Amino acid sequence: MAVIEAIATTYLEADAASVTFSSIPATYEHLQLRINARSVDTTQTTGAFIYLRFNGVSSAVYSRHFMTGYGTAEAGGGTAADSYIKPGVVNTALDDAAAYSGLVVDILDYAEDGNKNTTVMSHFGSGLGYNIVGLFSSMWDSTDDVTQIALTTYDDFARGSEFTLYGLKSS
Amino acid sequence: MAAFTVIDHTELGAAAATWTSATIPSSYDHLYLTISARGALAGTNWYEYVDVQFNGDTGTNYSSTGLRGQASAGAWQTSGVDGLDRVLLINADGSTASTFGNASIWIPNYANTANFKQVVARFATEGDTASNGEWILGIGAGLWSSTAAITSITIDPQNGDLMQYSTFTLYGVTGA
Repeated sequence: MAVIEAIATTYLEADAASVTFSSIPATYEHLQLRINARSVDTTQTTGAFIYLRFNGVSSAVYSRHFMTGYGTAEAGGGTAADSYIKPGVVNTALDDAAAYSGLVVDILDYAEDGNKNTTVMSHFGSGLGYNIVGLFSSMWDSTDDVTQIALTTYDDFARGSEFTLYGLKSS
Repeated sequence: MAAFTVIDHTELGAAAATWTSATIPSSYDHLYLTISARGALAGTNWYEYVDVQFNGDTGTNYSSTGLRGQASAGAWQTSGVDGLDRVLLINADGSTASTFGNASIWIPNYANTANFKQVVARFATEGDTASNGEWILGIGAGLWSSTAAITSITIDPQNGDLMQYSTFTLYGVTGA
């Protein structure tokens, strides 16, 4: 039996406002989300954030922090008590039409019900114009199991964006 | 053949001074270790330094460098010390309750007996705060100056125990 299994893949045949993975089983140890996406937005000149929420919770129970390199400038910072996680930035319609950003999002011990808040560690790169790279971490201030992951961005995700959720086993 | 194989998975049922992996066979190409851990260091300590050691070697054979972000980015390094102590941090018990530091560590070509061993890692110590130092994330790299094949890994907090529910999953990674 494979240790890493693809739980679900969503490939957008048309622009979409959101992508949701539902009914995530608790049978894995860790989750990993791999994203290759862009936004149709035409206003965000340094790329469009992706927004992530767990289990449909939209209250101010998320914290997020980042370290980025943008061109030759580096930055770090954070926000507490927000209503979503930002795991990274993707290309927009201001950039080359063939440019889709890559993100890898790790969610360790997502099913440790009662013991651990859910924490997220992600890294991303967005080239061809923005040249931004970053390492993000986030926390959902809840010990609930993660059963749903919902992703949105500034405006819609563009056609051709792809999202795959993997489960990593521990035995 | 599966590309990833679980060598060891441990969830601490009680606080422990260290975690040491099961014996690692030499039959894989690389190792991948995921850590979700919290240190017992309390008070106003939000994070805890961790030594990564191989084969029980506590000699001064380790060097490591990290790049961390808190309010701003910065680098740190140590060399000639008794563990890789700049490749990752974990949450300490002064941080947000129930929050465990995350880390993933790659150890390529761990079983060769010709070269020193290098590691690369990503880590995050999260908290419900935006205050400087109360959250840290970063990347790290380390060198164990030994040509011995790696047969075990030890995670040793520098100032206290690992807390209950800390988990460690070690994978062996095989190429085609």
